[in-house]
Amino acid sequence: MASFGNQSNPAVVSTFSAASQLPVPDVGIAIAPSVYWPKALRLQGKEGVLFIAGVILLWQLISSFSHFSGKYLFPSPLLTAQTLWVSLPELLIGTVYSFLILLPSLAFAISLGVVWGLIVGTTPALNRMFSPFARFASPVPPTIYIPYAIALLPTFHTAAGFVVFIGVFWPVFLNTANGAGALPQHYRDNARVLGLAKVEYLRRVVFPATLPQIFSGINVGLVFAFIMLTVAELFGASKGLGRFVQLYADYADYPRMVAGILYTGVVVWISMEVLERIKKRSLFWLR
Amino acid sequence: MSAAPALQPGSRRSTLGIDVRALQFAYEGTPVLSDIDLHIAEGEFLCVLGPSGCGKTTLLRLLAGLDLPVAGTISYNGASIQGPSLERGVVFQNYSLFPWLTLSENIELALSKSHPQHDVSWRQAHAQDYLTRVGLGDSSEQYPSLLSGGMQQRGAIARALALGSPVLLMDEPFGALDPINRAKLQDLLLELWASPRKTVVFITHDVEEALYLADRVVVLGSSPGRIIQEIAVPFERPRSRKLFSFREFINLSGHINELFREDVLQRIAADSQSALVRS
Repeated sequence: MASFGNQSNPAVVSTFSAASQLPVPDVGIAIAPSVYWPKALRLQGKEGVLFIAGVILLWQLISSFSHFSGKYLFPSPLLTAQTLWVSLPELLIGTVYSFLILLPSLAFAISLGVVWGLIVGTTPALNRMFSPFARFASPVPPTIYIPYAIALLPTFHTAAGFVVFIGVFWPVFLNTANGAGALPQHYRDNARVLGLAKVEYLRRVVFPATLPQIFSGINVGLVFAFIMLTVAELFGASKGLGRFVQLYADYADYPRMVAGILYTGVVVWISMEVLERIKKRSLFWLR
Repeated sequence: MSAAPALQPGSRRSTLGIDVRALQFAYEGTPVLSDIDLHIAEGEFLCVLGPSGCGKTTLLRLLAGLDLPVAGTISYNGASIQGPSLERGVVFQNYSLFPWLTLSENIELALSKSHPQHDVSWRQAHAQDYLTRVGLGDSSEQYPSLLSGGMQQRGAIARALALGSPVLLMDEPFGALDPINRAKLQDLLLELWASPRKTVVFITHDVEEALYLADRVVVLGSSPGRIIQEIAVPFERPRSRKLFSFREFINLSGHINELFREDVLQRIAADSQSALVRS
């Protein structure tokens, strides 16, 4: 097996495809990576895809060998894919409903969190006033508000919107306020030398300088938004992604339910990717 | 050493220019600057020369109005300095430009405060004009992080000049540059300083740089920072780098290095004295 020839000599670094990608600590001793690919298979960089393929294979194996579940409680990948295809129109409508709640709340929570965070972070008196309250209110798990929000607010739409808002606002606000409060002194000096007024200072200096922290806040907030939204929909929506899963769980239609879970995963993943793109574009100056 | 024509501190007083009297500054109780008396005449090029940690950056911050003195006064043209003002432009060592704005936008932002009566297209043209003067005419739409350190400092100088400030405060602006770029920027600065004539306070720890650029050099000693000597630089302008091999230049820089050496020895002696007292 000529193509496996190099395996016998682990000291040949060029055969360690992982070595060029992973931050292997340089301790002066040759460390053999636990996994490496023979060069001829050209698998370097495809580890992620391989892993997912492995998971699907395992899923297939378990679903075909399980006596206890039957194929409807633990549907095979193929059946799930078929169901997903059939349910796609319903899921897309559910996505639109979910996003009609999600996007306005997200936009409102991010705007308010950023603006208030910038102001509080740069105004010591406001910081002293607001921080004790924030320290108390921000760690409350936002899911705990859902039953009360549904009882208190007139429609499900407003109740779900409210809990999404809570889930997004705190991480965005806290990250923004911390970032703005820790603004490097040289930006402040530079702005003072130019005589920038407070609003200009916030808009042209503090806001861009704090963008890295703002984005990490939004990142956490977006994950929370989906959690809050789907959990709220389990409680009382008529349509939506969480509602789809809950509905077919009630009907014991597990292939559809699994398809719904998978689909929701894809939607969240795409949303995170979109955010990552926006972040990369906005932080082009960061090197 | 009598090679240096030493001036009496504060011998030339007029209401024009920057006037520093009995200045004291302390940071959290530790004295940083003590008994600074200094007059900087209108149109003068003054270098403040001192070793690291002697408080020369603090002095510049006080002149800029970014910090306020603990005691003593600083005034410009008779008016006390209470905060930053656009009549005193500042060039920092390496962070005068905001990295999220292009060179042109950086200058336009500054111009929106110094020339609020003009519109955006005037500001763009004005920014382009000053970038061209410092040799960055083709880079106005570039972001600072993509430029070399030398180009960034050119941009910072363009910003300070575009504001039209009569006073330019510069904090080791060429300290992070390689020797060739530093020499280029020194010559550029001298050229720009001459017309229209501005008052420049230039902080540096480089003796040759100070002697090449300045009309007068103020030598600071450390702990706490204080003026050891003021030296009028006797060389004719325009100057060239041939100066560096002149006997007078070498004597003068030798004299300044001797001042620093004495200052360090004094400080070591004082430190060991106080250590003895404590033990």
